[in-house]
This record gives sequence, C-alpha cells and structure tokens, in this order.
Amino acid sequence: MEALKVAEDTGFIPPAPPRAAVSLDRLSVAFDTANGPIVALRDITLDIEDGTFLTILGPSGCGKSTLLRVVSDLVPMAGGNATVFGKSPEQARRGRDIAFVFQDAALLPWRTALENVKLPLEMGIRRGQEIHRSERSPEELLAMVGLKGRENALPHELSGGMRQRVAIARALVCKPKLLLMDEPFGALDEITRDRLNEEILRIWQETGTTILFVTHSIPEAVFLGQKVLMLAAHPGRVKELVDVGLPRDRKLKMRESAEFVRTAARLRELLEEC
Amino acid sequence: MSIVNEIPDKAAGGSLRELLPSSRIVAPIAVLAAILLVWQTGVRYFDVKPFIAPAPTDVLAVLVSDYPLLLRNFWPTLSEALLGFAVGNIIAVLIAVAFVHNRAVEKAFFPVAVFVNTIPILAIAPILVLIFGNGMTAKVVIAALICFFPTLVNMVKGLQSVGKDALDLAQILSATKNEVFWKIRLPASLPYLFAALKIAATTSVIGAIVGEWIGADVGLGALIIDATFNFRSPLLYATVFVSSGLAVLLFLMVTLLERRLVYWTANPRH
Repeated sequence: MEALKVAEDTGFIPPAPPRAAVSLDRLSVAFDTANGPIVALRDITLDIEDGTFLTILGPSGCGKSTLLRVVSDLVPMAGGNATVFGKSPEQARRGRDIAFVFQDAALLPWRTALENVKLPLEMGIRRGQEIHRSERSPEELLAMVGLKGRENALPHELSGGMRQRVAIARALVCKPKLLLMDEPFGALDEITRDRLNEEILRIWQETGTTILFVTHSIPEAVFLGQKVLMLAAHPGRVKELVDVGLPRDRKLKMRESAEFVRTAARLRELLEEC
Repeated sequence: MSIVNEIPDKAAGGSLRELLPSSRIVAPIAVLAAILLVWQTGVRYFDVKPFIAPAPTDVLAVLVSDYPLLLRNFWPTLSEALLGFAVGNIIAVLIAVAFVHNRAVEKAFFPVAVFVNTIPILAIAPILVLIFGNGMTAKVVIAALICFFPTLVNMVKGLQSVGKDALDLAQILSATKNEVFWKIRLPASLPYLFAALKIAATTSVIGAIVGEWIGADVGLGALIIDATFNFRSPLLYATVFVSSGLAVLLFLMVTLLERRLVYWTANPRH
C-alpha cells in the first residue's frame, strides 16, 4: 500500500520536458551467419528519458545484449536509427558519454584494482580531446564501491563480487551520462548480488546517470528498474514496457511488497507469452 | 643423463637436509644418491673399463682436473646459445606481431614456418654449416632456428589470448590499435611468451652443440666429439654435465625474469 502511495507521489509528471537519453527509431540489427543473415532486433522504437534506470528482460536470443551493443556502437545498425543524447552512437562513444560493464569484469589481470580503474584515462583519448572526469578521484571511486584498502590488489586476489565492483568504479571514472550493464551480476552468488543491487541503486541516485541494465532475473529487473523493457525473441522486438511502481529509494525488503510481487508476476506472465 | 650428472653438486648439501621433513627436496635427492651409489658400485664391482662407463668419482675428478679445458670450451657455446636465443626469439616475436596485425601475412608465411619446423635440426645443420662456414655464425643460426618455432606459435597464441570483453572495452574507450597492442595484447602475451622462452633456453644450447658437432674447433660440442674419438669417457661425461649445466643456467635466468615480469598469475586466465 505504502509503495503505491509513494509511486503516485513520484508520479509521471516531470518538472521539465524530459530529454531522451537514448532514442531508438525502428532500429534493426542483423548478423551474417553461415546460414544467411539473422535478424537480431527488428523495429525497436523506444525513448529512454535522461536519468532513467531501465532494466531489460527477455528470453535468451531476444537480443538484450545486442540492444546494449548497438547503443554503444559495438555492433552496427542494419536499419532505423539510434541516438544517444542526440548524437550517433559513434559520436557518443568517442565523446565518452557511454560506459559499459560486462558480465565478466574484464579487468586486466596485470593491473592493480586502482590501475584498472584508471585505464579509461589512459586509452582512446585523442590529442587535445577534453574528456569529462568524475568529481571523485579513482581512489575515491574505489572507496565508493567498498574497496578502500584494496587499491593495490591484483584481480586474481579479489573475489568475483570485488572484481565487478572494480569494473563499476572503472565505468564511472569518466562520468558517463549513460551506463550500460550487461548481466553484470549474473555470475555472482545471491548474497553478493543483493548487496551489489543496493549499491548500484545508490550509485544511480548519487550520479543521476541513465542506466540500461540487462538481466535474466525477474526479481533483479523489478528491484532495480523504474521501468522494465520486456523483449520477445526471434526476431528480437519490444514485447512491453512495464512501469515499476516502487519509490526511487528502495530497500531489499521491498521485494516482499505487494507492488513488487504484482509486477514480478506480470513480468513472468509476459515472459511465458514470449 | 643431465639429472644423473647433477648429483655430485646436490648430494653433499642434501645429506644435511635429510633430517628435515621437507620430502619435496629430500625424496628426489635420495633417489639420485641411490642411482649414483648403484652406478659407482656397479662400475667397480663389475670392473667396467673407464672408457666404456666411468664411475661418478672419475667424472668428478676430471671436472676438477680439466676445469680450465672445460671452461675454455664453455664460453663459445654459451655465446652461441645466447646469441641464437636472442636472434631466434626476437625474429619470432616480430613475425608473430606481424601475423596478428595482418591475417594475409599469417596465411602466407605460417605454412612456410611449419615446413621449416618439420626439417630435423640434425638434417639442416650440415647445410647451414656449408652456407655459413665453420665459424660462430652457423651455430648461432642453428640455435636461432631451433628457438624460433615454439616462440612464434606461442607468441601468436598469446597476442590472440585477449578476451572478447577486454577488446569490447577497448572499443568502447575508442582505443587505437597501438594502445590495444601495448596496453592489452602485449602484456597478455607474456605468460605464453615465457612458456616458449623456457623451452628455447634449453633448446638453444642443443642447437649450439649440434652446430659444433658438424664442424668446430672450440665449444662443448667440439669437446664432446673430441673426447668420444679419443676414448676419454670421463671427460666426455664431464662435458655432458657442463652442457646440461649451461642449459639449466639459461633456464634459471629465464625463470627469474619470468617471476619479475609475469607477476600477476602463474597461469594465464585470458
């Protein structure tokens, strides 16, 4: 009940006309395979407001990851258009508007935690290019993700959860306007995952960055997302965009609230139809 | 043979350690000491002629008495092996870099490299001595050739061992090809490179010695031939011992360097 009331308070009437962080217009993506081209995504049309935490769910093969990869210019578009803060994905990538967190932390094993966080400051910066930097130093970012004192640890000395924390700190070092996360906690145990879920929400609230978060866990999608994008497979297309009526400030125990349970049940129904 | 010949050195220190409960050190030393003992008593008991099989004590005696002769022949072989090691590995690394940057180059040259590798080193050594003469060059070339292939294969594998996520990350960061090479590919290749360098450390010595067999006045290989034809078996055994000592020395140098450079993990993860 309380959750519903707060949802009404936060409401859907923003103070200023919202600016789209990501705007997809009839976007299609195709891959060439030995058996001919495969359509991974077809006619995706979607606007994601600046500052949104959007979680993306769907059966395997629905192109969840592909959606993140096309937005971040890792795979080309086959048709339609995608813009990131009004720019093409390539411009946004070159301008360091986008950061990506992978399922595997993708740390360089010969670099310490701190050196890994600093990597974006040492690569891909053209002569004379000004890049935005987080107000926090790399050391402070590591402290923010709970790794104070482990700055000089090598990745193999850290647990899976800690490595993913380093990857998150690394993603934040250039103060991205758009943070893409591809099942970042998929390989972690449940306790670690819960803790990181709370932390990523806190980071989202502190930084105000737009987050697109792919997951295959319905509870995770509901707990994190203001909205959940459900994709259907073969070809990947939008099934439904579901609002989550939970307040911005969430606690783990809200997973027992009526709104949480109702939304999760709705998503499970949708997933079965896909 | 090399294991047996190491014993005189280690057995002395080993007898003190036998009281300590570190079976990892004690057990192999005990086995080697036993082999030595059997060898020594066997040779004495059956009265085997020294030119057929010298006793360990005979070998030790020559090691001491002919120390200047052994050392005089040690240095040329060391320089040939070291130079061959350097030349062969540097060329292998450079070609591996070219392969990774250009697939067409790899397709054109890799089969040639495989073919060169299939020629037995003993078969190609006389050809190289004919081409480069009796001097040091032929030995260096043979040592380089024997180092070349394992390093090429491992280095290509190492440079390509970078995970997809790391490459995606580099792309998201708009990293240049140069940055990807120096900051990601090259460090990632080091564990693979050192695996090959450890092989090369011992094979380069083999290459130098094989080269000296074909035609040389100095070097451990020449000394082996000389001692064999003159039935100086204790000297032959002593030379073999010094040769294996040289290989062990190079191997240890590479291992020490590896520990300094590849500090992040014993096994490559990506």
